[in-house]
Amino acid sequence: MPVVTLSSDSHPLGREIAGRAATALGYDCVDREILSAVADRHDVPETGLHKALEESPSPFGISSKNHARYLAYIEEATLAVLLKDHVVCSGLAAHLYVRGISHVLKIRILADPQKLAGEISSGRTTSPEKLSAFLKRRERFRRRWSLEAYRVDETDPSVYDMVISLTQIDPDEAVQTIVETTGYRKFQPMTYSLKCMKDKALASRVRVALIDRFPDVRVQADGSSVVVQTKALEREKQKKTEVIKKLAGEFPEIAAVEVQILPDIFRKAAESFR
Amino acid sequence: MERQVRVLLLDDEPIVGKRLVPALAKLGVETESFTDPEAALQQIARKDFDIVVTDFRMDKMDGLEVLKQVLKKSPRTKVIIITGYATLEIARQALAIGAFDFIAKPFKPNDLRNIVVKAARALGYKINEKLVDSSTAHGDSDMELSGS
Repeated sequence: MPVVTLSSDSHPLGREIAGRAATALGYDCVDREILSAVADRHDVPETGLHKALEESPSPFGISSKNHARYLAYIEEATLAVLLKDHVVCSGLAAHLYVRGISHVLKIRILADPQKLAGEISSGRTTSPEKLSAFLKRRERFRRRWSLEAYRVDETDPSVYDMVISLTQIDPDEAVQTIVETTGYRKFQPMTYSLKCMKDKALASRVRVALIDRFPDVRVQADGSSVVVQTKALEREKQKKTEVIKKLAGEFPEIAAVEVQILPDIFRKAAESFR
Repeated sequence: MERQVRVLLLDDEPIVGKRLVPALAKLGVETESFTDPEAALQQIARKDFDIVVTDFRMDKMDGLEVLKQVLKKSPRTKVIIITGYATLEIARQALAIGAFDFIAKPFKPNDLRNIVVKAARALGYKINEKLVDSSTAHGDSDMELSGS
């Protein structure tokens, strides 16, 4: 059966619709509750994982290195759950990294702006103009976050299979629409799409194994082969290649590791000025 | 006595048929291989096939057109699409039209055998379990089939 990823401009609303859709479908629902287990597994603060999903790296907030690490941990844990199918996933940014897989139905829920404004202002009286400006700022912020983290604009409707605005559609109707759409043949798993999901899950596991030593590492898997990309200076190339091959080679399902070292032009430039 | 499962294999690269026909023969199915989509469709018009395995990208006709024509003639036939150019869009389109499964090249002969067995079972045929997932015993576990 398909996997549903559900994202929303309102996290509580996304969570509510995801939960209701999962119940109606008889699927499991995975959301930010898994973050506590992820934090324990990697010995990192759970608040850091939440922050990574909400904030961009900044000098006064989460560092770029931790941002990338925490998102990699979340991605790995989420993909492990999604491999099982029969899952509705929300709040874990899966719509940004589980792309190109035909049995993943990607839904975006847009809250009624009036209700969203009420949720944000928590009952305080604020002028409609101020609220509208705040919502626009918030959308720009999320756009920036998703582009920085995954190079995908999460406010772009073309990222999704379906966008449901709750201005005119009731939550019950939205749930019903999601349930019906999962029944379409085009969203059913097939050998190709299941393999794509397995490849993504394996790549995310390898990335987690490497990310502490190689914060910029990128990994692609295809069956039992992986391609690992990282930056290095010329003199570091050999050592880094050996370490990556050793660490990635520890996965029993990996038969071949290709390491692509890209020139680290910034460090090279910095060294040449010394 | 139950008749043999009839499989038609269509790929415009002759090497594909050359390698897959013996691999499928190990399942005890009767396989006919074609490189020309028109010739394959003529044979499908003459004879009932249980399973059609077709390449997606071919010069004369694409796999989706073959899929449509096969299902028009015989809705019960299970069509498996193989391609070196898999995308989310093509995969979804193939399934929406009625493909039984979709597999990207390169794949191992045993991957296709597994799908053929699933398709045969969906049609009510019994296939010996021992013949599936035993590629090592067949000596072709590392042989990958690529192409377009």
